[in-house]
Amino acid sequence: MKTLALILAGGTGDELTVLTRQRAKSALPFGGRYRVIDFCLSNCVHSGISDIAILAQYSPVSLIEHIGTGRPWDLDRRSGGIAILQPSHNGQAATWYLGTADALYQNMDLIVSWKSETILVLSGDQVYVMDYRPFIEDHLRRGCDVTIVTKEVPASQRSRFGMVLCNKDGLVTSFKEKPTSSDYKMASLGIYLFRRSFLLEALSEERVDIVFDILMPAIERRAVAAYPFSGYWEDIGSIASYYRASLQLLERRSLITDPDWPIFTSESNLPPARCTAEARISNSIIADGCNIAGIVRDSIIFPGVTVEKGAVVEKSIVFPHSRIGSCAFVGRSILDKYVSVGSGARVGEAGRTDKQAGRLAKIAVVGRKARIAARAELDCGSEVEPHAIVGRKR
Amino acid sequence: MKKERVVAVILAGGVGKRLSLLTRYRAKPAVPFAGRYRIIDFTLTNCIRSGIDEVYVLTQYIARSLVKHIGVGKPWDLDRLKGGMRVLHPHLGYRAVDWYRGTADALYQNRSLIRRLEADRILILSGDHVYRMDYRELLDFHAQSGKPACLGVVKVPKRLTAEFGIATVDNEGNITKFEEKPAKSDGRLASMGIYIFDKKFLLSLLKLLEAKHNDLDFGKHVVPYLVGRREIAAFHFKGYWLDIGTVKSYYRASLELLSEKSRLRLDSRNGPVLTVPDDSPPTVIAESGSVENSLVCNGCIISGFVSNSILSPGVRIDKGATVNNSIIFDDCVIESGAILENVIVDKAVRIGKGAIVGLGNPKIPNNLQPGYLDSGITLIGKRTIVPSNVKIGTNCLVSGPRGGGAIPKKDIEDGGSYLEEGGA
Repeated sequence: MKTLALILAGGTGDELTVLTRQRAKSALPFGGRYRVIDFCLSNCVHSGISDIAILAQYSPVSLIEHIGTGRPWDLDRRSGGIAILQPSHNGQAATWYLGTADALYQNMDLIVSWKSETILVLSGDQVYVMDYRPFIEDHLRRGCDVTIVTKEVPASQRSRFGMVLCNKDGLVTSFKEKPTSSDYKMASLGIYLFRRSFLLEALSEERVDIVFDILMPAIERRAVAAYPFSGYWEDIGSIASYYRASLQLLERRSLITDPDWPIFTSESNLPPARCTAEARISNSIIADGCNIAGIVRDSIIFPGVTVEKGAVVEKSIVFPHSRIGSCAFVGRSILDKYVSVGSGARVGEAGRTDKQAGRLAKIAVVGRKARIAARAELDCGSEVEPHAIVGRKR
Repeated sequence: MKKERVVAVILAGGVGKRLSLLTRYRAKPAVPFAGRYRIIDFTLTNCIRSGIDEVYVLTQYIARSLVKHIGVGKPWDLDRLKGGMRVLHPHLGYRAVDWYRGTADALYQNRSLIRRLEADRILILSGDHVYRMDYRELLDFHAQSGKPACLGVVKVPKRLTAEFGIATVDNEGNITKFEEKPAKSDGRLASMGIYIFDKKFLLSLLKLLEAKHNDLDFGKHVVPYLVGRREIAAFHFKGYWLDIGTVKSYYRASLELLSEKSRLRLDSRNGPVLTVPDDSPPTVIAESGSVENSLVCNGCIISGFVSNSILSPGVRIDKGATVNNSIIFDDCVIESGAILENVIVDKAVRIGKGAIVGLGNPKIPNNLQPGYLDSGITLIGKRTIVPSNVKIGTNCLVSGPRGGGAIPKKDIEDGGSYLEEGGA
């Protein structure tokens, strides 16, 4: 039985501020060489799903460049494979995707032509490793219209999620979208499996949102089952969650190093990383093409990054091809691609707790191609726009 | 105007015997170099960067690993509708065809194919060398020389002249004298094994000379013949060029890459050296790990100490292990407390806990291959398992069973060897 995967990758990612000014959330670099979308794409490939469409709308260029013909995922195929679907003019009218369900509705022709009995709807901005096969089997065994993946979340986080209550048969009986507080323990992860005939019937011009316009009515009919997932799962919704999920990789490195479940991504042509005699690196992830002559601690360094002599990078995430000048300091920061930090500059705070505020210092974020002048200082929590130039304070 | 077409033929059949265990299961062009590359990557990258998009690779000696590596030529953009890359192995046919008996014989045996090529000139290259070169300079030089053939030459140190064909060149670039591996020579310009020929000239030349020598070789027969007739010019290449002849030169050239003064740029303004993509995750350096003065590929997990070394993709160095002045190929595991010093470790080797490899007296040469291993380097063959706490000295050759497996739990003294049956 064939499954078609539709990956929703249109999100603007407003809370990711300068990191998503020029890219879709799902194209955000993650884990030293990946993009966030690589995780669900790799899950699909490892689960034997080779018919995949990505629904994109917001700043899709870096996503389009990254996916290419789908070759790194073995999805450059004669039939099926991968397609990126953007809103298009249908001859009479053109509208943007108004919501998740509308994005599916606008591509109904494709869903019809792909002839899959089950349709898996995923979100492109989540980091997790999941074999979809048992999930699909469970869905087929129950024969429900929809099966959703749920996971237990702590009370403090429930306001971020759609919270779910199930009966003892595993059918969803109640669903509350982002409740201020909730007794329901299980959150919907935004991973949905639809029976084809149900989905094609449910989609219409008036139905804009998957949760409100398709899921909720189906729950009332007791036609939605829940499939609990207990593995690691994180969505990349904000700077804080992005930063947390990234640094968690240092402890949860099996997420990317499992030889039975490699995460596939676009090819890199860079030479091996070069560490000089002065380099001091500990508890960090370092990608190829880097030149490290300074100190790197508890950080994630993407390909082609230069850390010059005497520079210190601590608890930070540095995207590809950025340069940290000699004797500069970067702490609790995220530097986007091609950022240049001048010699002796200081970006962000060290990992220590800010005693006065009694909490951890906020994360500094520097946008793509921004330049921090030599000996300039950037406080914790700063946000530097892409291409901006930060000079020295007078 | 019709564009001139140049087709490249890469001679990749080299045995590379002096590389000892490194070429036990693979041809010399397939020997790993600089962490993630194979030697042939440099020549293939040079081709595509020089605008040559039709390449024939001539193989003979254990081609499996080479064929697997180059595949359909995709990493070099050589998987093309027209042209692209083809591998030509010696084969049987209607007429008696034999193994390639010499470098030029290999071309002679493929003469019908060469005749059919839509090419004005044939560029003959070797898959054995590490260098970055734009062949267009050579092609232009050849076109201007007015000679039907041209040879690439490069300056080598005096001590190495006995390993090469040495050319004496006059001011206009004409070769006046050519000596193949001379015991003593005043010349310093060595043949790079790069030749450019007008296609028609090459075909008639091969036919003529094959009648005299059935082991027809460029260095031994073809070049001297052309020098005698003053039909060959020399192009002097001024960049970095390396013939990895021996284990010693392989080891030295590899570790020279660590120096900031290294003249070989793996990633230059002309773009990086191209090779097969690697799916490994980025490298993890643990809290207990440290890396100094080293090249590290993706996919490594380093919890021990690494210095002055080159790690290929997927190497694991466990807590408390020490690796110094060593070259570790793909997917090796160095268990905790092991010490490696001046060792070349082939692919998928496991060095057990507390094993000590490579420390000892470098003056005792290897008992089996004293000529190759006499400078304090130990070689561990592919898929060998070295049991825990075993001591292996320096100048040692160690290789377990071919399919992989452990060697006996017994120390090996300096200059000693352990080679399991079924290989070498």
